[in-house]
Amino acid sequence: MKLLQNKVAELFKNGTINLMIGFKNALNKQVVPCFIENSSQAEQLIYTADCKNNLSVYLHKPEVKKIKKVGIIGNIATLRSLIQLTSENQLWDIEQTILTVNEKDEIILFKNMREVETYVQTYFPENHTEEDKKLLEYIDSLPREERWKYWMEQFSTCIKCYACRAVCPMCYCTQCTVECNQPQWIKISSETTGNLEWHIMRAMHLAGRCIECGECGRVCPVGIPIHLLTTKMNQELFKEFATRPGFSLKGEYAMNTFKPEDKEGFIK
Amino acid sequence: MSEFEPKIVAFVCNWCTYAGADLAGTNRTKYASNVKIIRFPCTGRIDFMLLMKAFENGADGVIVSGCHPNDCHYTSGNFHARRRWIIFRSLLDFIGFDTDRITFSWISAAEGNKWAQIVDEVTEKIKSKGPFTDLKKLNCTLLKQLYDEAITK
Repeated sequence: MKLLQNKVAELFKNGTINLMIGFKNALNKQVVPCFIENSSQAEQLIYTADCKNNLSVYLHKPEVKKIKKVGIIGNIATLRSLIQLTSENQLWDIEQTILTVNEKDEIILFKNMREVETYVQTYFPENHTEEDKKLLEYIDSLPREERWKYWMEQFSTCIKCYACRAVCPMCYCTQCTVECNQPQWIKISSETTGNLEWHIMRAMHLAGRCIECGECGRVCPVGIPIHLLTTKMNQELFKEFATRPGFSLKGEYAMNTFKPEDKEGFIK
Repeated sequence: MSEFEPKIVAFVCNWCTYAGADLAGTNRTKYASNVKIIRFPCTGRIDFMLLMKAFENGADGVIVSGCHPNDCHYTSGNFHARRRWIIFRSLLDFIGFDTDRITFSWISAAEGNKWAQIVDEVTEKIKSKGPFTDLKKLNCTLLKQLYDEAITK
């Protein structure tokens, strides 16, 4: 912990960064993201196994982009989304300094995105919890009508707060289809058909880009396991097209490319 | 009560299936009149939200059809569309949406008969499945809930 704080303080002193995005303990001992603006604040920083938030979401906020030289402490999910964002050309106007702490509590300062890529590829991230796996299996095992009932019950509680969108590093459009009102694709009020459409749209727009950090499910105030939708999408994408987002800087966005030999069994 | 006549919406591409349907017409091929054709520049333009909107607005079945692979007027529109459909279909299936109500097909400008055949098949299938009420039921349950709450108050 001390090592990390010293390292960050050093980065501030030699002018590498003007802002550090990391984790700190809130008053109630909960781990929360924090913004460190000078070397004296660096002692707030912590890094534990509870640091689960995906911090890369802050990198495309205009307030952060203005600062230019930004440091970020990444857990594996953050690193993966950084790779994905770089491949989508979203971080060109920011000088990011990326740090991570590995299992041996060593601090790694990445020189460039290539090193991040190698790191992510060597430490294969397993970011599904046992709970998620079980739930996914359970839903998959249900007959169709039951699945529909399950999801409709879940979606009926959605209050359309769009927290899932706000927390997602891949949802960076300045104008979302959900706010588009001519035509009105998705009803503003929170009723189940509109909610269903919103979640389908969200999953489809993230298909092939979601890096499965699970933030959307964690942040949902009514506890809808929406991250399972994108997780399922990713499984299908891997099965059908052997692509996995957030793994390489080449950025093969599955829905933006095709192969003439793509297989499907349902088109007549 | 008269027999249930399904409403079927067909999203078709301008260059192949639309021309194919045209051919079926000029050939005087008889096929079910339940289908409402919407013409698009390319299958690549057919957004998944359009299908959702069709169902929301009372369609009982949807046909999506375009050029055969390698025949696209814009070279690759149907390849992109194919990927999208593969993923969209598995998402709908995961949510439990009745994917049997969506039919995807490749119909070229010369396949007027195939068009007529597919429309007939889909119409028969939807007739046997009955009206699409999954989405309507959702709204009704909500209304009923609100009504019940209002009554009890």
